[in-house]
Amino acid sequence: MHVHELNPKKTLITVIIFVIVIIVGFLTLKKPRFTYKLDMKQSVEILHDSSLYFYPWQLADVVDNVESNVVLIDLRDKFSFGQGHIPGSENISAYDLTEENNIEHLNELKSAGITVVFYGNDQLQANGPWMWFRQTGFDNVKILLGGYNYYKAHKNRLSQTKSDKGFMCELPRYDYAKAASKKASKGVNNTVKKKKPVVVRRKKRTVTASGGC
Amino acid sequence: MNKNYIFLTILMILLAAGTLFLDNRKDNYQIKPEVLLYEIIQPTRYVTTDQVAKMIIDKDPTLELIDVRSPEEFDKFSLTNAINVPLDSIITAGSQDYFGLPGVKVVFYSNGDICADQAWVLTRRMGYKDTYVMKGGLNRWIETIIQPKEPPQEAPYTDFELYQFRKGAQIYFTGAEIESTQVKKKSSVKVRRRKKTVTASGGC
Repeated sequence: MHVHELNPKKTLITVIIFVIVIIVGFLTLKKPRFTYKLDMKQSVEILHDSSLYFYPWQLADVVDNVESNVVLIDLRDKFSFGQGHIPGSENISAYDLTEENNIEHLNELKSAGITVVFYGNDQLQANGPWMWFRQTGFDNVKILLGGYNYYKAHKNRLSQTKSDKGFMCELPRYDYAKAASKKASKGVNNTVKKKKPVVVRRKKRTVTASGGC
Repeated sequence: MNKNYIFLTILMILLAAGTLFLDNRKDNYQIKPEVLLYEIIQPTRYVTTDQVAKMIIDKDPTLELIDVRSPEEFDKFSLTNAINVPLDSIITAGSQDYFGLPGVKVVFYSNGDICADQAWVLTRRMGYKDTYVMKGGLNRWIETIIQPKEPPQEAPYTDFELYQFRKGAQIYFTGAEIESTQVKKKSSVKVRRRKKTVTASGGC
């Protein structure tokens, strides 16, 4: 005879408890801190959305405190931040980005509808974090084109950078095919300095006193 | 029939049916967001133009260069043996063949380094490892490999060593003639011997 036929009720109760434990386990599973809100296709699409970029001339209003709906976040380390940063920006080093209080702060900015602009030394440094925050649902995050380096070089003429192209990092700066061609490089090697005729003059031997030894 | 048996059977069937709805791991695998952010802030994915040049010159078989620019730009110029996978098509099923090959180092490059970095983030999210980004892109390739600049006199010795490497690389990639074959007007070396004078050779 099978055990369950001896104690049918006990078996049933055990099975039910087992199922309940499993269900409770699923329900109390820790919710992950971050989840992707954009799928792969959407993540690629946002890369072409120029409204997600923050242009250097837009900094003028932020720096002069005219624009209060924008918060700049410097992703560099404390030391670099201390040496120089865009006025009014907050410093959240990239390594501290996932800390609880920083995420809370960014969430608050998001709910308040404030635009957050990431920047690093160059645009490359902020590129990864900007993509990540967009993909995890922070739809108020923009990236500063040209980074801090471009701002520093042009901070006295920000509004005039509208006609500039220097902060567009992906523009080709050379005609690659031409520059790398055989013809072009011939020109590079032609800076030959004309050598002066070398005159070798031997030192006149002076009489050396060689008495004794 | 025993009620318990029936109950258990129904339970098993329900659980089995439930597994049909589990995420098909292989097709849509993505790494956890926390892991992705941790990897993003590491600078280990960046390789220099010099490192890429060396790998090409050494004919390193593990190197796979991926050009993420448009096909038109790729046709105009591309690095040796590079494969064109435009940024927009990085996630399509057809492009997946280029990633995740064992032992192969995938190096993304573009005109600058932003687009290449974006390709890196996207492929990393899909779980592909051993991927890298060429810092500075083709703009820096021209500035360092094709048109290397001689370091100033005060620069440390390592700068000069690097410059020597880059000059060699320039010759390799552009087919430029080696400097020595460009015949410079040979400077006439005049050696003037001094007239022999009588030397006092008294003593030992």
